[in-house]
Amino acid sequence: MTSFDEIYSKSKSRYQELESGNKPWIRIGTAVCGEAAGSKEVVDRIKSDLRSLGVDANVSEVGCIGLCYAEPIVDVIKPGGPRIFYGNVNPDIASEIVKSYVSEDDYRPDLALAAMSESDVDGVMNMKDLPMWSKQVRVALRNCGNIDPMEIGQYIATGGYAALDKAVNSMTPEEVLKEVQDSGLRGRGGAAFPTGTKWSFLARSPGPVKYILCNCEEGDPGAFNDKGILESDPHSLIEGTILAGYASGASNGIVFIRHGHEGPINRTLAAIEQAYELGLLGNNILGSSFSFDMEVSLTGDSYVAGEETALMESIEGKRAMPRARPPFPAAYGVWGLPSNINNIKSLSYVPEIIAKGGEWFAGIGTDGSKGTAILCLSGNIKYSGMIEVPMGLTINQVIYDIAGGTPDGRKVKFLQTGGPLGGVLPDEKMDVELDFGAMSQAGAILGSGGLIVADERACAVNMARLLVAFCQYESCGKCFPCRLGMTNLIEILERVSNFASRPEDLELMTNIGQNMAAGSLCGHGQLGWNPVQSALKYFPDDFSAHMEEKRCITGQCAQQITTPQRTRSRWSPVQLLELKV
Amino acid sequence: MASENSEINLIIDGKQITTQTGNTILQAAMESGLYIPYLCYYPGMKPYGACRMCVVEVENGRGTPASCTTPVAEGMVVNTDTQQIQDLRKGITELIISEHPHGCLTCHRTDINGANLCGPEDICLRHVSVTDRCVSCPKNERCELKDTTIYVGTGLTTPMTYKYRNLPVLNQDPFYDLDYNLCIVCARCVRACDELRGDNAITLTERSGISLVGPAYGSSLLESGCEFCGSCIDVCPVGALVESDYKWDKAVESTSTTCPQCPVGCQLKLEVNKRGKVIRVIPELEAEANRGQACFKGKFGLDFINKRSRLKSPMIRRDGALEDVSWEEAMSFVADKLNLYKGSGFAALSSSRSTNEEAYILQKFTRSVMNSNNVDHSSNMRPEVTEILGDVLGYQAATNSIWSIEESDCILVVSSNVTEEHNVASVAVKRGSKNGSKLIVIDSREVELTRSAKLWLKPRPGTDSVLLGGILKVIFDESLEDQEFMNARTDNLDNFKNSLWKFDLKKVQEITGVDESDIRTAARYIAESDSTSFIYALDNLNDAQRSESTRSVINLALATGNIGKNNGGLYPLRSGTNDQGSWDVGCVPHLLPGYKNLHDSAARASLEQNWGLNIPEETGLGLKEMFPAIITGDVKAMMIVGNSTNFSNGDLGDVLESVKNLEFLVVQDAFLTDIGMLADVVLPSVTFAEKEGTFTNMERRVQPLKQVLEINNTYAMPDWWIITELAKAMGYDSFNYHCAAQILDEISNNIPFYAGIKYDRLLSKEGILEPAGIPNFPIPSQMIPASGGRNTGIQWPCLDVQHTGVKVLYTNIDDSNKFSMQSLEIVDGTSVTTKEYPLLFVPGRVLHDSDDVKIEVINNKNVIVRDEVLQLNPEDAKRLDIGDFEMIQLESVDEKLTFQARIVKESFVGVVSSTTLFGSLITQLDASEDPDPMGNVPTLKTKAVRVSKQGS
Repeated sequence: MTSFDEIYSKSKSRYQELESGNKPWIRIGTAVCGEAAGSKEVVDRIKSDLRSLGVDANVSEVGCIGLCYAEPIVDVIKPGGPRIFYGNVNPDIASEIVKSYVSEDDYRPDLALAAMSESDVDGVMNMKDLPMWSKQVRVALRNCGNIDPMEIGQYIATGGYAALDKAVNSMTPEEVLKEVQDSGLRGRGGAAFPTGTKWSFLARSPGPVKYILCNCEEGDPGAFNDKGILESDPHSLIEGTILAGYASGASNGIVFIRHGHEGPINRTLAAIEQAYELGLLGNNILGSSFSFDMEVSLTGDSYVAGEETALMESIEGKRAMPRARPPFPAAYGVWGLPSNINNIKSLSYVPEIIAKGGEWFAGIGTDGSKGTAILCLSGNIKYSGMIEVPMGLTINQVIYDIAGGTPDGRKVKFLQTGGPLGGVLPDEKMDVELDFGAMSQAGAILGSGGLIVADERACAVNMARLLVAFCQYESCGKCFPCRLGMTNLIEILERVSNFASRPEDLELMTNIGQNMAAGSLCGHGQLGWNPVQSALKYFPDDFSAHMEEKRCITGQCAQQITTPQRTRSRWSPVQLLELKV
Repeated sequence: MASENSEINLIIDGKQITTQTGNTILQAAMESGLYIPYLCYYPGMKPYGACRMCVVEVENGRGTPASCTTPVAEGMVVNTDTQQIQDLRKGITELIISEHPHGCLTCHRTDINGANLCGPEDICLRHVSVTDRCVSCPKNERCELKDTTIYVGTGLTTPMTYKYRNLPVLNQDPFYDLDYNLCIVCARCVRACDELRGDNAITLTERSGISLVGPAYGSSLLESGCEFCGSCIDVCPVGALVESDYKWDKAVESTSTTCPQCPVGCQLKLEVNKRGKVIRVIPELEAEANRGQACFKGKFGLDFINKRSRLKSPMIRRDGALEDVSWEEAMSFVADKLNLYKGSGFAALSSSRSTNEEAYILQKFTRSVMNSNNVDHSSNMRPEVTEILGDVLGYQAATNSIWSIEESDCILVVSSNVTEEHNVASVAVKRGSKNGSKLIVIDSREVELTRSAKLWLKPRPGTDSVLLGGILKVIFDESLEDQEFMNARTDNLDNFKNSLWKFDLKKVQEITGVDESDIRTAARYIAESDSTSFIYALDNLNDAQRSESTRSVINLALATGNIGKNNGGLYPLRSGTNDQGSWDVGCVPHLLPGYKNLHDSAARASLEQNWGLNIPEETGLGLKEMFPAIITGDVKAMMIVGNSTNFSNGDLGDVLESVKNLEFLVVQDAFLTDIGMLADVVLPSVTFAEKEGTFTNMERRVQPLKQVLEINNTYAMPDWWIITELAKAMGYDSFNYHCAAQILDEISNNIPFYAGIKYDRLLSKEGILEPAGIPNFPIPSQMIPASGGRNTGIQWPCLDVQHTGVKVLYTNIDDSNKFSMQSLEIVDGTSVTTKEYPLLFVPGRVLHDSDDVKIEVINNKNVIVRDEVLQLNPEDAKRLDIGDFEMIQLESVDEKLTFQARIVKESFVGVVSSTTLFGSLITQLDASEDPDPMGNVPTLKTKAVRVSKQGS
């Protein structure tokens, strides 16, 4: 068994060769955002240009650095030259870059997005001054966009798995647990439950087989940070999971990814395999007595599968429907064995917490919410992307200072946070701090970190209708209040949107919503009333215009609106019967 | 943390309640007589928490949890009826009826309490004239949703837009009508199929607002793995799932009685309409034998009671034709005739459905009136499975109860088609297997249980006993036996161990074709489990092999200490409904009532004294000897009670041909059957639903038959009455019985282990709860008590009227009477094949097969269409020049079938096998013209065949 030091020194020397060797190193972001913007073509062009020009360079496909608005991003570092990021690169620009900078010495300030260097580079903005970058503190996202996620060596060279080595070889599980408890880390999946406390429940459950489940179902519209981490830096999740297993005495880890997220799935599978090869997973990890196994499990196409008990059902191969609690997962989880479910983001913090200490992490953020917030910015904003900022920044700072406000300077009308169940936050409430407590006081949740910005052209009724439509479409159909409540709610909202509402509809809607909130089995139904409730609370005028004046203030609801509904598939008994007859 | 089974105190609605740890709030409330409305909860199923009708408030708790999923905790204070809860429940019912047709609530003739004011001759809102019930829904007056809606006080309509699903009613599958417009998606049916039955034939389909239930991928029930047990229908709270037959009929009465279809002895509620027809069969939820379950035979196969082809009057053959006569004439005619055949020239057979009383009275009649010991029951085809059991252990009966199989850590099933022949017992097996019991199936056929098996050993046909010997050998080779038990309770160990030397594993593997490693695994599973249940019917073996296999199974139970244990024991499976009772009361040629030997003169003398009549000493002829004796002329007159499948399926040779040689044949039956057609006198008897009596089931439980129906439009009489009257007509006035209970009294006086069993004890007195009467809150229709109360059963030995029976036999260690280990022999697996039919055909039947199954709709009924596949060994295929996928013909003495060939290396040489789908059997039964089709369900019998290319 090779010791961790050997693995590290081998990885480090290879990485140093890339970073400061005598060849240029070109990194291209090929995560989903980059790919959608055309990064594959850019990679191809760069490779073919390098060949035809006869230039020797290292090319790596890396993950997402978070500046999604600027994708595809090409990042070139040259021996002796500065590290330059080029944004919105198309194949032609890529050819220019290869010709001018890679093979010659002109770093083309006209094409450059920013430079990452200690000293200023002439004519190019320093990364530190880039609005989207300047306020970031990258802990979980530390490697995203920097390393090739398919190369475990690059992760190790940048400090990866050192925390694991430290934990399994020089710390007791209790010490690791204590470090996480000290860090004040709270779950980033939405409920913000203290991670250390959660692990301690599992640690107390009887073994020997216990599960750590990592939830990357991430079905919220406007949220892509879990996928981003898995795609850009799967090893930080794997290391975090193993550490969680060590701290809570678990023996198995399952990463649960939504079917269809090909990038995260493939990169996680590859990463797990590489970790096994180096003895970082499997029996007697790094020569210690601790053993841990990990696998990937895929969901079907279901939003509710992200609910913790539905997720366990899904792993067991059953229909993704929530179980009744109690028993709670720590006592009766997947396959009836003690389990603990963590969000990808929460686990990705853990290696850094162990490496640098819980106290260090607790030093970031606010009193009630330690550490950083990983946010996904989208909607009517100038700079969309995935960022990591310290807790305690205000939403206004995030929207105006980081994301640059709306593209054409229009007034922001509201913000949709925390997924479709999170509701909306009006402009005047946006001075709220990024803090679990403060956010929920303001009537929103930080949730999974998705922030969708809507400017004044957006209609709150329409937004509420769309969010309920999503929730209705994704209801698993198990409990009556959610299955039937959502169906009736969307029907009423559709009436409102079409100016055909009845006088009693407001009261009826409220009744249904409150019954859903009080009666539903899981969060999906319990929170399903949130979007309408907050839209009603903050934008009553939008509703009264639709309902009383029969018009839409913004004009968004001008046309006859129908909401997509599930239809019985070809395989339903009824349709099959029709086929047969 | 509270330890298990400790008590917990809580307060529900101000009432102090004590309940067990692990109970939910709902269960605790129900136990103490408090009602919380519910729609998806069902007794016996796991908490589900979907309908949210049972929400409650827990003080200092968060929100409004569902009481069906929330476990009780010490000191909990629960309120079930606050204003908030009431509003929530109303809100939910409003949502439900927004898509559930609720004409039953809004009809102008329904008052606010849901009372139905419609009467005969009224014109209903559907513009039809009402006969005797509301015609808006098949579940009318039994609908839990309607009752619950009214109970929670929802207005009669919903403020939401009513959305009818407009789906066609699915009635193509046999026996079931599925109207998903009425479904409320409580998933009780799905959970019943999964949790209660272990079948998973149906699932939830689709999602969100259009979520429903049904077979996966929209397949039909026929191909989904449905065993048509009707469990889903029984639990459905609304009219979505109902029985097709008599769907719109209203019951005026329901009576609980014992099912006559198999030895499980399910307690069933028979619902009767005002015209005196049995319209619906609902298994009793709290019956010990079946725990709310039934099977296709019991649920859908009792319609024969209602058939018009029932015999109505006694008949005497005159000039070759049967003529209706009066009872007096028939009796004096038979009496005169039988007086001529007293002695060993007379033989009598009772049927598999004869009650204890009838079997007893028939053997008494045969022995004391006819002076012959030629008496048996027609289903007594496998006496070896219990006779040896009696010799070794003491009683010829299963040692434990059916449902303790579910709790066994290991279950061994040897050559038994439990799912079809003892269905509800297979439910216990499957549920056990689902909960982690190791199920081992030894069978050369693919039967339904192989699907649930952890290990399926597939021996060459006829080699089961050798395989069992091999398993025993491994147990002793690896010292896995329960030495403590064996030392304390067994003897003859040395002889037994010496006999094991023959079972060298290499040789066993060679003979049986089962891998040595599999034999070892099976042995370890059996021996290393805390408890093992052994279930054996030993189908398709000859008598010698069956004896040897029985010895091996008993040895296995003794070697692993599974005698006198709670969850481990022996379960011999006999085929006839009341075989156990027939043996108990001496309806066999060589034993007197209570298993006393005929040649035991003291026993005979005491019985003679009790009867006041003489019993002949000469050994009688058994079932298998009677028919040859007819040919030789030794038996000249015969009395046959009931028809038996064994008469026509060739098991006993050509019975119909041999009875033609009789000088005088009397048949008692409810229908004119093939053997009745040959009789000189046919006496009409009533069905199980029209008489009283008792059956003894496979777990020794004596259960009552109750008279469900008056005997209408026919002069048919109970068999015991016929025999009694006949004896009187022959001048034996001591046959003075006026009811079945009186005969049972005589039985219990003569048989010590029946001593405490009295008819009235079985009805509703001790040992069971009194029926509560229909309570004033909504309950599932399966829980509505039968009008006559529930029955109980008593497991013999029951030594006096205070004794409640014995669940587990042999729990007391008796040093003077040790169990003798049985020496074993390797018995040659002599084959039934002949020169003309050189191959052995091994049929199988499974619930579900994913391959090549298509469904066609013929006459608006689903029918399975597929090429049946015959598996054969490459060697045989080569010899017969048959290629893979070629169409071939299979011929036996009595049938010709077409198959597609599949050449399979694992097949044994000389053996061909095929597996049909259970759904096909159900289609046949549904379409059958036979008045009693379930009585003749074809068993999976191996037979000699020849195979040839089609057309050649």
